[in-house]
Amino acid sequence: MTSTRILTRRRLGTTSAHHAPARRRRRTRGFVQVASSVAAERLHLNSFGHAYMWFGAALIAVLFYLALAAQVTQSSYDIARLQDQQRQLIAEQDQLRYQEVTLHAPAQVQQQAAQSGMQRVAPVAYVPAQAVAIDLQAPAGAVGTDGTPLWQRYLGALFNKVGGTRDVLAAGRH
Amino acid sequence: MGARLRILALLLMAALLAGAVWARLAYWQVFRHVQLSSQAQAQYHELVELPAVRGVIFDRNLTQLVVNTTVYSAFVSPDQIAAVDRERVATGLSGVLSVDKAKVMQTLQSNSKFAYILRRFSKAKADQLRALKLPGVGLADESQRSYLPGITSGSSLAANLLGFANFDGQGRYGLEQYYQKELGGTAGYISSYRDLANREIILGTHTHQDPVNGSNLVLSLDANVQYQAEQALMDGVKKDNAESGSVLIMDPSTGGIVAWADYPSYDANNFNHTDSALFQDNVSSYLYEPGSVMKVVTLSGAMNQGAITPDTVINDPGVLNVGGFRIYDWDHRNHGNVNYSYVLAHSLNVGAMKAMLAEGHAACYSYLKGFGLTQPSGIDVAAETSVPFPSQDQMSDSQYATTSFGQGIGLNMVQMLSAVNVIANGGRYAPPHVVERIGTTINPLLLKPQRQVITAATAQQMTTMMEGVVQNGSGWSSRVKGFQNDQAGKTGTSQIPVNGQYTLDVWASFVGFLPAKHPKFTMLVVVRKPHYPGSDQNWTLNDGYLTAAPIWQKIAQQLVVDWRITPD
Repeated sequence: MTSTRILTRRRLGTTSAHHAPARRRRRTRGFVQVASSVAAERLHLNSFGHAYMWFGAALIAVLFYLALAAQVTQSSYDIARLQDQQRQLIAEQDQLRYQEVTLHAPAQVQQQAAQSGMQRVAPVAYVPAQAVAIDLQAPAGAVGTDGTPLWQRYLGALFNKVGGTRDVLAAGRH
Repeated sequence: MGARLRILALLLMAALLAGAVWARLAYWQVFRHVQLSSQAQAQYHELVELPAVRGVIFDRNLTQLVVNTTVYSAFVSPDQIAAVDRERVATGLSGVLSVDKAKVMQTLQSNSKFAYILRRFSKAKADQLRALKLPGVGLADESQRSYLPGITSGSSLAANLLGFANFDGQGRYGLEQYYQKELGGTAGYISSYRDLANREIILGTHTHQDPVNGSNLVLSLDANVQYQAEQALMDGVKKDNAESGSVLIMDPSTGGIVAWADYPSYDANNFNHTDSALFQDNVSSYLYEPGSVMKVVTLSGAMNQGAITPDTVINDPGVLNVGGFRIYDWDHRNHGNVNYSYVLAHSLNVGAMKAMLAEGHAACYSYLKGFGLTQPSGIDVAAETSVPFPSQDQMSDSQYATTSFGQGIGLNMVQMLSAVNVIANGGRYAPPHVVERIGTTINPLLLKPQRQVITAATAQQMTTMMEGVVQNGSGWSSRVKGFQNDQAGKTGTSQIPVNGQYTLDVWASFVGFLPAKHPKFTMLVVVRKPHYPGSDQNWTLNDGYLTAAPIWQKIAQQLVVDWRITPD
C-alpha cells in the first residue's frame, strides 16, 4: 500500500534535486590567523604588540638563517680541509707506489745483487747430443756374463730354497 | 600660445633626456649584454677542470714502467707579505727549496700579485714548507709521470720507446705520444659558484662531470731484458768508440717487441733539461742501409721462387758488371765456384746479385714487398720514418743490384727485423707491435692472421744457411755458449753515404735468432760509426762481426739464462 504521505514524500524527493538551495560554505580561518588572534586575545596585545611580535618572529628567522649559514660555512671549511687532506694522502700513496715500483726495477735489483756479491754467470755448457739411430729389430747380442762369485750364488740359492727372497742374488749383481 | 609652446618645449626636452637615458640603457643592456654578463659571471662562476688520471704502462710481466706521482710548485703573493716578514719568508724558501735567497727577496719586494718560486719539487720538500707556515706562500699540486731508473743516473729505462708526458699532460715521442688519446682519458669538470673569498658556495647550483681516466697499457716488452740490452749496448758502443747504437728484440711468433734500446739515451724524468736531439729514437725514426743482412731476404726470395737452392753453385769472380757499374765483393777477391750456403756464410755481394738476377726483377720486387720493406712497418710508436719506395718500373738495374746486398736502400730497424723474423716465424710476417693490451682490449694486430711470405720449407732452408753463418762464416763472434750449433745469424756492414759519396764510416749490424729450429727471440743490433781499435789502419775492423755481433752475443747469453732457453 502506498499512502498519500509516501507519495508526497516521493514527489518531494524527485523534485528536490532540481530545486535544492545552494549550499553555503563557511569560510575557515588559517592556523596562523587563529593562533595570532587567540594570542592577541589572551595576551591583550594592541597593534604595537602585533608589530613587535612580527618583528620578533622575523628576528628569530634571521638568526636561524644565520646559524644555518654559519653551519654551512663551517661544513665548507671542513670539506675543503678534508679535500686537502685527501690530496696529501693521495700524494703520499703515489710516492709509496713509486718507491715500491722502483724497488723492483731492474736497475735496483742489479744494484742490490751486486752489493750482495751476486753475479750473473753463464750457464754450464750444453752438450749437443749426436743423433743415434736405434734399430729395434737388431738381435739383442750375447748375454752378459755373470761375474758374481760362486759362493754368493750358492748362498743365494740356499736362501731361496729355505724360503727367502731372490733379492740377495739380485743385489749382488751390478 | 606662449604657455603651450613652453609645455611643448619642456615635453621635447624631457623626451630627449629620457631618450638619451633609454638609449644608454639599451646600449648597455642590449649591445653590451653578452660581454657584461660574461664578465659578471666570471666573478662568481667557476669552471674547475677535473683532470683524468693518465693510464700507466706495464711490461709483459706486469712490472710498472711508469708511475703517476704528485709534485708541488711553490708560489708567493708579494703584495700580501708584510715588509717585516720578507726576510723570514725568503730564508724559509731558500732553505727548503735551495733557491737563491737574494732572488727570492727581489721577488718579494716587487709587490706583484703572484710569482712562482720553484716548480715541480717533491712532497718531502712541500711538507717541510707547509710546516714553516710562511705568510703569503702557497703550494699548488700537479701530477707528474715518473719513469723507472735506467742504466745510468742520466737515463731512464726504455726512454726512447716510452717517450714522456710534458707538464701539460701531453705525450711526446714514443708510446706516450702514439697512445695519447688512450692514456690521457677525458677530463671532467665542476661548474660552481664562489664567494668573495673564493670559497665554493655549496648550496649554489652546480653541475659535475666525472673524468674518464686513461687506459693502462700492457706491453710485450720485458723490463729485465730491456735493462740488460741497454747495459750491453752501452758497453759495446763505448768499447767500439761508436757514435751510437740500437738493439731491437722481437718475439718471433707474435711480432711483439721484447726490448727496444738506444744509446745514448736520456732521462725522461728530466726531459725539460735534456738536449732535444736525444729524444729522437734511432730504432724507428732513423734510416740506415742494412748491408749484408739484406742477403737473407734476397736469397730467401730467390729460393722460394725456385731460382736457386742452398746447393746451387755459381761462379763468383769477385766482381759483376750491372747497369754499367762494376760491383765488387767486400774483399775484392775471386772466390771461384761456390754454392749459396757459402755465399751467405761469407757474405758475397756477387752471389746475392746473381740470385736476384736469377729470380728476376718482378719477383725480387714482390718479395721486397712481401717482407714488408716497401712500406712503413706500422709499428705503434710515434714518428716511424721511412722513405717512399720507388715503384717496380722506376728501379734501375743497378738499384736492384745494390738492393740485393742491402746498399742504396734506406730502412728503419723495425722494418729490417720484421723482415728477417719471417724466417724465424716459419715464413709468416708477424706485424711488429709494442702494445699487447689497451685496458682490457687485446691489440687487434694479435688477432689478425699473419701473411705467408715464403713457404715453411724455404724458411727452414734459410735457417740452415744462417746457422752456417754462425758455425762457418762471419757470425762466429756471436756464438752463445751452449747454442753454437743451434743459432742462426747474419752480419751486415754498410758504408754511410755523405753528399752522395760513400765514406769509410759504417753501419755495423748483426741479426739472428735462437734456438734456430724453434726460435724464442729474434734480435737486431746496429752500431753506428764504430771506430774499433786499429780500424784507422784497417777499416774492416769496424765490421758487424767485431762490433755488433759481440753485443748480440752478450744480450743473447743473458736472455738464455733469464728465459731458461735450452737448445733443441
